[in-house]
Amino acid sequence: MKFSLSWLKRYIEIDKTPDEIEEALNLSGLEVEGVETLGVPTLEKVVVGEVVTREQHPNADRLSICEVKTGETELHHIVCGAQNFKTGDRVPVALPGAILPGNFKIKKSKLRGVKSEGMMCSARELNLGDDHSGLLILEKNLDLGTPINEVFPEGEIVFDLAVTPNRPDALSVIGIARELAALFDLKITKPELKEVTAKSAEQSPFLDSVEVNDHGFCPFYTAYSIKGVKIGPSPDWLRKDLEDIGLRPINNVVDITNWVLMETGQPLHAFDAAKLNGKCLKVRMANENEKITTLDEKERVLSCDMGVIADAERPLVIAGVMGSIDAEVNDGTRDIVLESAWFKPESVRLTSRRLGLSSDSSYRFERHVDPEGVAYAARRAIDLILEIAGGTLLGEPKICGIPPSGPAPISVTPSYFIEKLGFNVEPAAIKQVLESLGLCVEEEEANWSINIPPFRPDLERPIDLVEEFLRIHGTHNIPASPVRVTGLHAQDDPLAVFGKKATTHFAANGFNECNVYSTRANEEIESFFGVEYAEKLKLANPLASDQTHLRASLLPGLLEVMRLNQARGNDVRRLFEKGQVFHVLDHEVVEMVSIGFIMLQEPLQRHWKDPVVHDFFTAKQFVMEILHLAGISEGKIDFQPMDAPIWQTGHCSKAGSIDDGLLLECGVLDHQRMAGLDLKGTILAGTCCFTAQALRKTIAKKEFRPVSDFPPANRDLALVMDAEIPAGQVLNEIRTVCDEACTEEFDAEDISIFDVYEGEHLPTGRKSIAFAISFRSMNRTLKEKEVNHAFETITKAMTDNTPYELRS
Amino acid sequence: MEAELQALVSQAEAGQDTVSTWPALAEFKATFVGPNGSLTAASKEIGKLPNEQKPVFGKKVNETKQRLEVVFDSIRERIENAELAAKLGPQVDPSLSVSENQQGTEHPLTQVREKIIGIFRKIGFTLVEGPELETEFFCFDALNTPASHPARDMQDTYFLPADFVLKGGGKRGSENFIMRPHTSAVQIRTMTKRKPPVRILSPGRCFRRDTVDATHSANFHQVEGLYVDENVTIRDLKALLDHFVKELFGSDAKTRFRPSFFPFTEPSFEMDVQTSNLRKLSGKWIEIMGCGMVDPNVFSHVGYDADQVSGYAFGMGVERIAMILHGIDDIRHFYQNDLRFLKQFQFA
Repeated sequence: MKFSLSWLKRYIEIDKTPDEIEEALNLSGLEVEGVETLGVPTLEKVVVGEVVTREQHPNADRLSICEVKTGETELHHIVCGAQNFKTGDRVPVALPGAILPGNFKIKKSKLRGVKSEGMMCSARELNLGDDHSGLLILEKNLDLGTPINEVFPEGEIVFDLAVTPNRPDALSVIGIARELAALFDLKITKPELKEVTAKSAEQSPFLDSVEVNDHGFCPFYTAYSIKGVKIGPSPDWLRKDLEDIGLRPINNVVDITNWVLMETGQPLHAFDAAKLNGKCLKVRMANENEKITTLDEKERVLSCDMGVIADAERPLVIAGVMGSIDAEVNDGTRDIVLESAWFKPESVRLTSRRLGLSSDSSYRFERHVDPEGVAYAARRAIDLILEIAGGTLLGEPKICGIPPSGPAPISVTPSYFIEKLGFNVEPAAIKQVLESLGLCVEEEEANWSINIPPFRPDLERPIDLVEEFLRIHGTHNIPASPVRVTGLHAQDDPLAVFGKKATTHFAANGFNECNVYSTRANEEIESFFGVEYAEKLKLANPLASDQTHLRASLLPGLLEVMRLNQARGNDVRRLFEKGQVFHVLDHEVVEMVSIGFIMLQEPLQRHWKDPVVHDFFTAKQFVMEILHLAGISEGKIDFQPMDAPIWQTGHCSKAGSIDDGLLLECGVLDHQRMAGLDLKGTILAGTCCFTAQALRKTIAKKEFRPVSDFPPANRDLALVMDAEIPAGQVLNEIRTVCDEACTEEFDAEDISIFDVYEGEHLPTGRKSIAFAISFRSMNRTLKEKEVNHAFETITKAMTDNTPYELRS
Repeated sequence: MEAELQALVSQAEAGQDTVSTWPALAEFKATFVGPNGSLTAASKEIGKLPNEQKPVFGKKVNETKQRLEVVFDSIRERIENAELAAKLGPQVDPSLSVSENQQGTEHPLTQVREKIIGIFRKIGFTLVEGPELETEFFCFDALNTPASHPARDMQDTYFLPADFVLKGGGKRGSENFIMRPHTSAVQIRTMTKRKPPVRILSPGRCFRRDTVDATHSANFHQVEGLYVDENVTIRDLKALLDHFVKELFGSDAKTRFRPSFFPFTEPSFEMDVQTSNLRKLSGKWIEIMGCGMVDPNVFSHVGYDADQVSGYAFGMGVERIAMILHGIDDIRHFYQNDLRFLKQFQFA
C-alpha cells in the first residue's frame, strides 16, 4: 500500500517529519517497507549559477575548469566532467556544505591538482529522473543564486506500507490518516459528500435492472447511472496522485474510480453504458468454461464458483477482480454505470488465486472492505466525476441487498486487559486509546461493551482489543522484568539428543559438517535412485529447475560439496551432514532421519609423510559408531554385500531395511561414476537412516552389568573353509556353539577374528579364519581342564559335519 | 684359579660388543654359563679342592657369575634400546606439520542453533523435533490460518502432489502434504499430546518457495519456542526475549516490539534488537524474530481451554541470527559449504 505525504495531508493536519511518521507507523503495526522521495527534495546550498568561463583541465582530457557565478559577486572555481554545456548556461550548482540525494556531501576539494569549490549537477543528481548524460541546463531567465527548490516544485514523499492481512482498514489513505490521528492525537477530516444537485428525476435509459443471483456471494450491490460524461485526461493533481504511487493515469473516469479506491479502500467499477447488452447487470456465478478477456488483454477461462458481473449476454467483470475489455470506459464513452459493491472475501480470494490474477480490487475485497464504505465511495466518486468529467446523475441508484452487518460488540472488563498485559494500566487510559481508534466504549460498572466500527472486521474477541490497546499505548511501555521460571518435568526429544551427539562425534573425527538443500534435481534422483524414486519424490509446485524433488540421500549433496571444494582448490577430505531424507517403500514415501558422510580414501594433497590409506572398514567403523550413538547394539546388525549403482561392487555393504526403520549403507563409491561427476580420488561413504519412531525407541537407559575380577582364559581356533563364506556367518555360529559349550560357571565373553588368510599352503578357493576366544568366570579363576573341555566341545561342534575344517 | 676366573670376565667384557641380537646373546651366555660353558666348567673344579678351600673358591665363582651377569644385562639393555629405536624411528622434527586428521567443524548454523537453544535450555525449555513433511492441517488450519484467509499467502509453500502418499498417513481429509514453511506444526503436535504446562523449543529445517538470492534461501532453519501455563502475560514474553537478547548479543542490547500479525498469535510482534557491537549494524534496529501470545483459536484446536491457560510463542531464523552475529553478507554461503567458509567457525 503506497501513499504520498501530500495526499495524506488532505485528511489530517500533520506536522511530523517523514521520519517521525515512518517510526510511528512501524511501531504501531503498519510496517513501512520504504520511503521514497520523488522530485527535488529540500536541498540546502543548491542554487542557480551561470558558467562564466570554461577551460580545459591541464591534467585531464575529460575535465574542464569553470568559473561559476551564483550571485552579483560570488564566483566559484568548479572542476566539471560534463561536456554538454557552454559559457552563459545556467545550471544547478551545489556549493560546499550541500548534501545531495543519496547522502552525497559536497566539499571543497582538488581534482587532478586543481581546486574545486562545488559541483554543477545533472538531473539525476537532483533526483529528477535518470538523466545523467550531462548537466541539467536551466532556463536563462532564472535569477542567479535562486535556491533550486524555488525552481522546481516541491518534492513528494511516498511511503510504501506492508499491511498485514488482518488490517484491511489500512488499505486506504483515509485509513492511514485515521491510524496516524490515533497515534498523534489529531483530528481527521473526511471529505464531505456533496448534495447532488444535478441529480435528475429521469430514470436511467441504459440500465433497466440489476439482479443478484447469489446473495451469499454478493450481499450488497449498487449501480449508479451517469449520463453525458466527457471522457478526457485527468487534471494534473489527480494524475500526480496516481503517478506518485505508481499507477498509470488512463482517463478521468477510470482515474477517479482508482483514486477513490485508494482514498477509501472501496473498489469501484465504471461500465460504458453503451456496451451493456440488454440494459441490465447480472451478478451471477460464471458458467463453467465461460471466457472473458480481462483488461490486461488476457483471455481467462472461468469456472462455476467464480462470480461475474454480466449483461444479458456475457460476463463483463470478474466480480471484485478485474473488468473485461468489452465494457471498458474509453474516449468514446458518453454514459456510464458506476458499480460499488461488497463481495464475499473468501470467494474473491479463491477466484483471484485460481486465475493467478490479483488486482488492487481483489486485494481489498478478499481482505474484507468496509460495508459502510460502499455507499460513501460511490458518492465520493460521483462528486468527482460530475466535477471533473461533467454529466448528470440519473434517478435513484439500483440497489440489491443491504450492506453486511459490521462486527458484533465485544464484552470485556478492564481487568482482562491487565491480566493479559501483565502490568497495570488505568481503565481510563485503555478507554481513551480504544476511542481514539473509533471504537465506542459503553461502560456498565466494571463491564464494558465495545462497539466496533465496520471497517475493523479483525476485532472480534477481547484479546484483539488488548492488541489494539498495546499497539497505540506503545510496546515500549511494557515494563522490563526478570524471567519467571517454574520447573517442568520434560525431557529433550531423543531425536535432538542423538542429532547433537552425532554432529559432535563427526566433527571430532575430522569431518566438516555441511548443510545442503533438501530439494534436488530430477536427474540426480533418477540417476542415483532410479525412476520410481524420481516419480514419488517430486514436488507439485517447484520453483527452480534444480530443486524439484525431495532428497532420498545425503550423499549426492555431499558429493556436490566435495566437487565444489575440489574445484576451488580446497584440501577437502571428510564431509558429513545430518538431515531428513525421503525413501520410497511399497510406493509410499517414508521420511527418515539420516547421517551421511563421505571421505577420501587418502588425501589428494601432497604431504611429507605417507598418509593413512582408508578402506571399506573405516567407513563401516563410522557407520557402527553412528549405531552406537543411536543406542543400537552391533549384534543385531547383519552387514550384507550389496550391488547398487553408486557403490563399488565388492567394496560396499548394507544392513537393515526401510521397513524396520533402519537402513545402513557404507563402502567405496563407484569409481567411474565419481569420475563422471568430476570428483577426484577414491571416495568412501556411509549413510544411516532411521525413522523417527525407530530412533526414539532405541535410545534407552543404560543398565549396569557387573564385571569379573578374575582373569580370562584364551584359546585360538583356526578354521579352513570355502573362500565364499562370510566371516560374520562363521562368527555367529561360533557364538552359538560357545554358548552351548560353556557351563553355568563361565562364559565365552569375547570372540574375535584375528587372522584371515588365503594363499600358500591352502587349496585355491579356500581360506582360513582364526578366532580368539576368551573365557571368563564371574566367580573364580578358571581351571585349565574345564576350559580345555569347553574348547574341545567347541572345536568338535564347529568341524563335525560343517563346511569348516580345523586348520592343521 | 683366580686368574682363570678373572680371564673369563675379561673375555666376556671384550666380546660383548659383537653381540647385538637375542639369539647371539643366548649363544654368548651359553659359552660362559651354559652346560658346556667355561664358568660351569670352572665351578665343577670345586669338588676337587680340599674342603677348607671350597668356600673361598665358591665365593669367587659366585662373584664371577655376578660380574658376567652385569655384562649380559648391559647387552640386554643395548638390544632392547636398539629395538625400541628401530620401532620409534628417527628423532622427530617437531616443527613439521601433521598430515592426517584435519580438524573437523560443526556448521555455523549448528553452532548458532546450539547457542540459541543453550540460552533457552537454561531457563527450562526442552527440545522437540518433528517431520519436515507436514500436512496443510498442521501447518495452517490448526494454526488458525484457514484456506480462505489471505494470511495463507504470506508464505509461499512447496506442495506435494495430491496423490502423494506418506507411509503412516497423517492426512485428516483432502488436504495436501507440504514441506513445512515453519516449525510451528511441532507445537501443535506437542500440545495435542501433552497437557499444560508446556515449555518447548522446536528447531528444524523449513522450506519456502523463494527465489534464492543473498538474503533469501528456499531451505532455511528456525528455532521456535512455546510456553503455555496459567497466567502467562505479554510482560512475561518481553521479559523472556529481553533475557535472550542480552545473553546472545551482550548486556547492552536493547529490544523493541513492533506490533505485527501472525495468524497463530494475538497480539503479535516483530522484535528488533539494537546493540553497539555489531560492526556495520551497530546502533541500528535489526529485526530478529516474530513472537506473540498464542491465539485462543490455536488452543481450541488442541483442546486447551483458553480461559484457563495462556501462553506465548516465538520463532527466529537461524541463518538470520548467524548472519547478524558473524557479519555474514550472503545467505548462500551456508549452503555452499566452501571449506574456507566453514573453517572460519572452527571452535567458534
